[in-house]
Amino acid sequence: MARNIKRKKISLVGSESASQIDYKDLDLLNDYITETGKIVPSRITGTSAKNQRALCVAIKRARFIALLPFCDSHK
Amino acid sequence: MRHYEIVFLVHPDQSAQVPGMIERYKSSIEGANGKIHRLEDWGRRHLAYPIKKLNKAHYVLMNIECDQATLEELETGFRFNDAILRSLTLLQKHPVTEVSAIATATAEENKIAESRAKDAAAKEALTATAEDADDATDLDGLDEELEANDIIPE
Repeated sequence: MARNIKRKKISLVGSESASQIDYKDLDLLNDYITETGKIVPSRITGTSAKNQRALCVAIKRARFIALLPFCDSHK
Repeated sequence: MRHYEIVFLVHPDQSAQVPGMIERYKSSIEGANGKIHRLEDWGRRHLAYPIKKLNKAHYVLMNIECDQATLEELETGFRFNDAILRSLTLLQKHPVTEVSAIATATAEENKIAESRAKDAAAKEALTATAEDADDATDLDGLDEELEANDIIPE
């Protein structure tokens, strides 16, 4: 009962298929990282496993080319 | 022939060389019967974290179709070019031609910046004229005060 209330949102990605999740789409990816730059677990966002995998790959690619930070303590 | 997506980051001080570099890559790809499906210059962007103590870099995105040898040639070129900070090559299933989200965002930002610069220039011009007018009135007021001061002791 209480568990359902905790769930913040039902996936935004739901409308998009995994193939549309792109490392260049920063507006979308920013919804799935915390303020400290960590990837938000799917149990919080309600993302499907397939989409979560695609998100992880996209976020990690964006990090590599410095579009997203790895953490918040970069100098 | 396979489809690849390449992003590379150029040293911000070497930004001027970017068009020449693109031209060189273009000729080497097209010389080997390859194709360039999408070419985007995102310009100088702020990095999310410093790379080689640099906070900015010039981004270029290319979607190309070429053979293995050409890709290897490009990648070794990236590796031994000191101006290139980093590059990312991805295999794509299809040619991609539509404009990417970042390109549209940077284009919009540039537009906003331009309009802001124009507004600022216009405002500066306005305030400059207004200040001139203010100065003139102030001087008039001072003159009158001086005259008044002069009159009292007499």
